[in-house]
Amino acid sequence: MNLSSYRKKSPWILHYNAGGCNGCDIEILACLGPKYDIERFGMINTGNPKQSDILLVTGPVTKRSRERLVEIYAQMPEPKVVIACGACASTGGVFRGMYNCEGGIDQYIPVDVYVCGCGTRPEQIIDGVVQALAILEQKSKDMESSVRLNKQAVTENEQLNRRHVAAEIAPIA
Amino acid sequence: MYGFERIVKARMQRRIGPPLLQPFYDFLKLAQKRQMLVHSAHAFLGIMHFVALWFALAVLLLGSDLILVIFLHLLATALLLLAAYSTRSVFSHLGANRLAISVLAYEPVLILIAVAIFMLTGSFNASAAFNHSTPLLYQMPLAFVALLLVLPIKLKKSPFDVAEAHQEVTGGVELEFSGLFFEAVYTAKWLDYVFCYTLVYLFAGNNIILGIGLMLFTFLYLNALDNSTARVNYKQMLRFSLGVSFSLALINLLINSLL
Repeated sequence: MNLSSYRKKSPWILHYNAGGCNGCDIEILACLGPKYDIERFGMINTGNPKQSDILLVTGPVTKRSRERLVEIYAQMPEPKVVIACGACASTGGVFRGMYNCEGGIDQYIPVDVYVCGCGTRPEQIIDGVVQALAILEQKSKDMESSVRLNKQAVTENEQLNRRHVAAEIAPIA
Repeated sequence: MYGFERIVKARMQRRIGPPLLQPFYDFLKLAQKRQMLVHSAHAFLGIMHFVALWFALAVLLLGSDLILVIFLHLLATALLLLAAYSTRSVFSHLGANRLAISVLAYEPVLILIAVAIFMLTGSFNASAAFNHSTPLLYQMPLAFVALLLVLPIKLKKSPFDVAEAHQEVTGGVELEFSGLFFEAVYTAKWLDYVFCYTLVYLFAGNNIILGIGLMLFTFLYLNALDNSTARVNYKQMLRFSLGVSFSLALINLLINSLL
């Protein structure tokens, strides 16, 4: 029995609204409903960062919500995947360049999958999540493989000389 | 059984639902997550909750003292409570407060039922109930009704799921567990199911077919109740449990002692 094939059968989703208009949130809730029913794939909307695998973010990051976004991301145990859901979360959308928000969540946390649309269709969200599952599986494989084996040996020429670095810093007059 | 329940719940909501083995997929996935600890005592208490629940279940299935079973189960819950109080998360504390109140709601009823079983069989041992010739259901139907009314509290089902309330306190006591340690708490829920259905089975005596029928009935009843009702607050829960279930169990006890 291959245990590792089970790791993408139970993705638990954490949904966070970083100041959006709730359009995408409603579509996410529609995915949970009887018509699309993403629980078929074993997905649960947990609401708890410590037990979830996929972070589904909607909305442009307002300046109030960016610390929470980073904190939630930091609380999720690896392997984890981030999906930017909707135009706002991907690029900032119609709010791009406004005084109170930033252009997209990828300015603060690494994003793996971008889902377009304003608001996104439930089919697109499901497609994005399925793509995220492949990335999740790849990430959990990477966690097990040794990092040190892939690293190149350092040659003499590439090493920084401490004296050269210090010479560039001018003394304070 | 938990996987089956999720399917039944989905079908009642006109959804297809997850595969039957979904809890095991969750189980295997949680084992592979990277560990994150709040602090070591917290994780330790979570695992001890799981171990204590195994002890309670083992003592019950081996047919030993019912009072001991109930107190071992209480010990398991108390360990989980301590774990929840040991973190600094507000939601965890809220969930622990609510769990403590729900323990207050169902524990007296369980003890009264155990006493009623003692009055009928002359022994606190669960094996005496398992081997009882006439099913206990016919001799103490009121106690069975009382048990049915407290089971939703114990299994954290709607309308009495204030302790777990995912929309309010996001799981309550289990909030701060992650990875392998959440797995212990998650698996402990399955044990709780087995525990509760064994309690139901006690009422059938040595009649196996009746026992299976009772368990099926309880399963359907719990799911129908869970899907059709909204959450009540903890005061209403406590009032209902101590007012209705407790008095039903008490009346049952009085009738048994008079007969």
